[in-house]
Amino acid sequence: MTSKKIILTGSFGVGKTSLFNQFIFNKFSDKYLTTIGVKVNKKTVDVGETKVNLLVWDIAGEVSQDKVPTSYFLGASGIIYVFDLTRPLTYKNLSTNIDYLKQLLPGGVIKVVGNKKDLLTESELQQVLDQVELPVQFTTSAKTGENVEKLFFDLAKELI
Amino acid sequence: MSNTNHSLMDEALLDRLKEILLKDDRAELAEIKNILESRKHLAKKVSPIIEEHLSLLKENFSTEYEETINKLIENKLENSQDQILETIYPVLGRMIKKFINHQFENLKESIDGTVKNTLSFSALTRKFKSIFTGVDESDLILSNVSSAKIEEIFLIERDSGILLGTASIKTTIDQDVIAGMLTAIKAFVEDAFQKESLQLEMIEYGGYKIMIQTFYSYYIAAAVDGTLTSLEKQNILQSMHDFASKEIAIIPKPLNDKSILISSKLEDYFIKENSIASSKS
Repeated sequence: MTSKKIILTGSFGVGKTSLFNQFIFNKFSDKYLTTIGVKVNKKTVDVGETKVNLLVWDIAGEVSQDKVPTSYFLGASGIIYVFDLTRPLTYKNLSTNIDYLKQLLPGGVIKVVGNKKDLLTESELQQVLDQVELPVQFTTSAKTGENVEKLFFDLAKELI
Repeated sequence: MSNTNHSLMDEALLDRLKEILLKDDRAELAEIKNILESRKHLAKKVSPIIEEHLSLLKENFSTEYEETINKLIENKLENSQDQILETIYPVLGRMIKKFINHQFENLKESIDGTVKNTLSFSALTRKFKSIFTGVDESDLILSNVSSAKIEEIFLIERDSGILLGTASIKTTIDQDVIAGMLTAIKAFVEDAFQKESLQLEMIEYGGYKIMIQTFYSYYIAAAVDGTLTSLEKQNILQSMHDFASKEIAIIPKPLNDKSILISSKLEDYFIKENSIASSKS
């Protein structure tokens, strides 16, 4: 078994904790409780013959990533940057934030994820994706669970 | 015309008669009115009565109202238990802490007294040990009676917080999660205070402590239950250093795939043997 540290980051209220809870506990709640500091949990993912122990750090949301304590990113193998597909402000400075994260984690895997897919129609989703300045690897719904397992599985696969 | 004159005269006579008959009453009424309307005068009259009643109330309060007050308090206690606990909890905590500290001071004082008056072989040995190690003699005595024990020990990768090995007396929550959260707390504290050369060394809550010793690529965290003397703290830290130099240094790197080996070493070194009572160096 191999262990990997994954960071969930992004602006506040984009659904990082909901993705975290959906992935770890298969649970979703409509209540919004802001994350204080950081929450850590783990889930083991089977990638073929290999068991990957994913240690997920769910970090309190910040509009600008340089506000997050840099030490949280130390030793991380991957970062999931989450934005809210329904709130343009959460992907407004996407490339600046991703550039900053790349500096913090050179060579690390960074996934850009648009969450709350369930709130948009297919055409609305397409419109949003056209506006986002970087390629979005995953569009997820923490509420329905759509693409959540796949996101973490693909990340784990890429990390081994 | 003459009738009207008669009636006017009657009225005047009546008024005059009233004046004569009611003169004293009117004067008395005016004085009473003056007393009632003037606070100062009223107080002069009423205060002695109130004082008398108050003093009577003071004397008979417990007999007259005991039952009612007791009932009120009982009702209040019954209906607001949470509120009361909320209020007294911190005070109780402080009182207990103060009491324990006081008892410890007494204990230390009595030990100091014993140390001064003892010339036995063990006392002399202890004295020598104290001189050579620089540890207070009272702490040496306390360490012999202390019941503190290491309940869990973790070896954690410094940056990532990935658990490299662990051993424990009893299993609590998921140890990977503990390792991650400990690292997060450690990272936060060290980041928040911007003191790069300083490391978080201990987390304390109640009688429970997590002692941390940080090395280059990993750190060791020991969860200790019970009261620790400074000697015991020193012993634990020394044991961690010894463990790092004697046991971990000889394991080929990287450490992240040696979890079973590290865990077994931690178990032997910290859980099976009492590393609190003495360091192995």
